Amino acid sequence: MLRKKGFYIAVLLLTSVFVLGFASLCMAAGAVEQPSGHTPEFGNVYVIGWTAVNFLILLAVLYKFAYNPINAMLEQRTTTIESSLRHAEEVKIEVEQMRKEAQSNLAESRREAQEIVARATKAAEEAKNEIITKAKEEAEQIKAKTEAELKVATEQAKMELKDTAATLAIMAAEKVLGRAITDEDHKRLVKDFVNEAGDLLC
Amino acid sequence: MLFGMLDEVFFYLGPIPVDHIIVTEWVIIALIALISYFATRDMQMIPRGLQNAFEMIIIWTYEFFTQLMDKEHVAKKWAPLLTGFFLFILLSNYSGLIPGAAHISGFQPPTSNWNVTMTLALITFFSVHIAGFSEHGIHYLGHFVSPSPLMLPLNLVEEIAHPLSLTVRLFGNIFGEEMVIAFLLFLAPFIVPGAIMGLSLLLGAIQAIVFTILSASYIAAATGEGH
Repeated sequence: MLRKKGFYIAVLLLTSVFVLGFASLCMAAGAVEQPSGHTPEFGNVYVIGWTAVNFLILLAVLYKFAYNPINAMLEQRTTTIESSLRHAEEVKIEVEQMRKEAQSNLAESRREAQEIVARATKAAEEAKNEIITKAKEEAEQIKAKTEAELKVATEQAKMELKDTAATLAIMAAEKVLGRAITDEDHKRLVKDFVNEAGDLLC
Repeated sequence: MLFGMLDEVFFYLGPIPVDHIIVTEWVIIALIALISYFATRDMQMIPRGLQNAFEMIIIWTYEFFTQLMDKEHVAKKWAPLLTGFFLFILLSNYSGLIPGAAHISGFQPPTSNWNVTMTLALITFFSVHIAGFSEHGIHYLGHFVSPSPLMLPLNLVEEIAHPLSLTVRLFGNIFGEEMVIAFLLFLAPFIVPGAIMGLSLLLGAIQAIVFTILSASYIAAATGEGH
């Protein structure tokens, strides 16, 4: 690394020596007589005038081609950057507003959803209660009806049993007596029998 | 014929003689104009290449002269003039290093002629007072009687000494350097003048910087609050 550096420096030095030497040779080509070394005359109005005009031209050139366009560009760039920054600020505020709005919307929706759920739950609860109540009522009704029917059937069965028993008793009595019994006997006998049998049966 | 300087006149524009150094000045101005023109020909919002470099230089001059003068609006107003001084003097000084310059009659750097340096110094002189008046109005005259009216003669001498020193410093340096190179070329035409030419590269830049900074500080003194 160090050797490389030294090499480069040597090349640079040699190059500069040759360039300067060549330049001085070129310059020396015309220098055949000793320079007189006289100072230029002072107060040459033409040189002064020309120089003043030339310098004013240079100033005009600098203004026209360097300072004015670059100042204008800098100005333009400043306004562009300012407006961009302002726009960015505006957009930021807008986004913030939108975010807030969205958040409030979300909260509103959530609240509504909760309300709906609560309402639905309540309705379902009511429906359930109603259904249960109705079912209970129906069950009660069915039970009552069944009980009544059962009672009627029992009564009927009791009556039928009584009739059958009476008929059987009459047939048995006929067999025992060997004759038909009159209506009067019949009625008396049946009555007695039924009363006895009924007491036994029931 | 006029003032006995016929040998330095390049040609006549009507009755007005045009010296060689005036043509050199034209070339220098044309060079600066050409570079500036190509740098700012197609200004872009996002700078690239030459435009970027040029913008950096211009902004740098603003910052540099603002540091030097303390007042940004004054610096912005006078930066083009001071940059013009710098570029003009630098290129003038370097024009003496072109092979053929300095020993061919007439082909000399413009700044080795004290008519030119005096003109530049006079432009500084007038600029200083214009800057002073435009900054402070009529109160600028108080500058000459501060700190007391007794100092008026001394202040006036100082005002005249400024352009005089600018003239003679620049002229003396560049003329002397040109003479040294010319004599060395006559005595030892290889390598030896090369060293002096390398030195004169430095000298040319230093003189340009010195002239510019002194002008800036004179303007700063005239526009400052120090009176």
